[in-house]
Amino acid sequence: MREALGADPPGLLERLRAGEPRAFEELVTAYQHRVFGVALRMLGSRAEAEEIAQEVFLRAYRALADFRGDARLGTWLYGIASRLCLNRLASPDRRVARGDAALADVPAATPDAAAAAERAELDAALRAAIAGLPEDRRLVLVLRDVEGLSYEEIAEALALDPGTVRSRLHRARLQLKEKLERFA
Amino acid sequence: MTCTETRDLFSALADDALTPAERAALDAHLAGCADCRRELAGLLRTVKLVRAIDPARAPAGFVDRVLAAARPEPAPKRLARRLLAPWQTLPLGAAALFLIAGLAVLLFRGSHEQQQAARYQPTTPGPAAQAPTAAPRETGSSATTATRESTPAAPPARSRKLETAKNRVEQPAPAEPRAETTAKGGSPPRDTAPAAPEGRRAKVDSSERAQAPAGERFSSTAEDARADATTDAAKEGKLRQEPPAFQSPPPFGASRVAPSVAAKSQTMPQVAPLSRTGPMTGVPAAAPDVSAHLRVPDVTLAELSLIELAARVGGRQTGRRIDGGRVVVELAVPRDAYAQFVREATALGSLSIERQATERPVLAVTVTVSN
Repeated sequence: MREALGADPPGLLERLRAGEPRAFEELVTAYQHRVFGVALRMLGSRAEAEEIAQEVFLRAYRALADFRGDARLGTWLYGIASRLCLNRLASPDRRVARGDAALADVPAATPDAAAAAERAELDAALRAAIAGLPEDRRLVLVLRDVEGLSYEEIAEALALDPGTVRSRLHRARLQLKEKLERFA
Repeated sequence: MTCTETRDLFSALADDALTPAERAALDAHLAGCADCRRELAGLLRTVKLVRAIDPARAPAGFVDRVLAAARPEPAPKRLARRLLAPWQTLPLGAAALFLIAGLAVLLFRGSHEQQQAARYQPTTPGPAAQAPTAAPRETGSSATTATRESTPAAPPARSRKLETAKNRVEQPAPAEPRAETTAKGGSPPRDTAPAAPEGRRAKVDSSERAQAPAGERFSSTAEDARADATTDAAKEGKLRQEPPAFQSPPPFGASRVAPSVAAKSQTMPQVAPLSRTGPMTGVPAAAPDVSAHLRVPDVTLAELSLIELAARVGGRQTGRRIDGGRVVVELAVPRDAYAQFVREATALGSLSIERQATERPVLAVTVTVSN
């Protein structure tokens, strides 16, 4: 799980609003892995995830003037990323069976063949289980258990009631548990 | 509280997101329901498994691509920037060193004697070979280097100064005095001999130095790739370590251990001293048989693992309180299973134990969990 989101880098928002050229670069540098991470887990392909992650920052760049600052930059970016991912997943021209690669970048190769096979099997089951979750539940699960956001941060990013976050997360985990039980 | 209601709280429990009232109700139910404890253990393993997935890293060069896409510049400006780019982005020192390198090459080529000297230098023993650090000052008195001193070639002295400084670190004692004395004591006749290799050295030196800072600016992709590689390696290491952690509790098909747990918890005698305070009243129980302190990275997960562990060895949770901000879990552990309990609890983190000599068949174990 990624470390907690924490506060925005001090002064960054003000400098972004002032149009300081270096500030945007700092923003991208600070949040690139997070934005890319959620896109990768949602879309499953690195290429598609990079495309969406770029789009997230471009939208943020254009919207900075309108950003009211009532959310943190991190949750704001996670929010844009989440919306773009859900839109992409809903688009009719999206090729199917992408989700299967959701964890494709997890290395399965280890020197110990037996351990590798075991791990690969577990990875495959985990990958399939996560990819098989309904998108709204998968998103909440990824934000909480992979990206390390709190309930409040997820609620803020997705403009949801914290109770909804909690129940979606619960359902997602129960569903995962059932799938992995079968695997075991 | 029903089993369904209890299980609806499991997920929030894993995130430590329950209200105190919910937590108390949940604990009360868990203490008497082996099925729910098993369900909880399964869910916690699932959560742990998902959390073991390594967070992804954006591909190398991502930032540059975003910046390029975000700031399409008008053509003339872009052209100007491209032409000037190396000079704008190169640190001043690096640019100076480029200049120095150029001048050094020019000087080297310009002096026939120097070339000659350079040719013989490698086989020439004596000061040239022995005292390279003395070279810069030695050349100071010669006619040829007088021009060098007056031209912008002064910077070579700077680059040598750097080098001398470096030498000082590497071979502190001999280098410095020699440089000092030769500088004061004028130069031997063969003063031009060291100058040539010096020029050559300056060139190598400066281009190396020039590359370093410039690389810093441009090689972020390479660096990212390296970072990727290291995280991949770390990831592999982590992944290899992970499975055992999941294997120590019962595997997903928890039904394998279920009957024994259920049987044990049914036959387990009630622990009088503990139940006196009520299961979840938050009041410390009477002096426990065993006081332990468990240090872990994730307190909530460890706490739940402890409860699960106690249940698995035929015991149960009897209480929970917060003491000075630390979570104190009170457990009843059958004496027979105590050794197994300790063994598995040790796997959760750093465990220190204080045990009283008692003969009770079920031990009252208090574990303080902190990170």
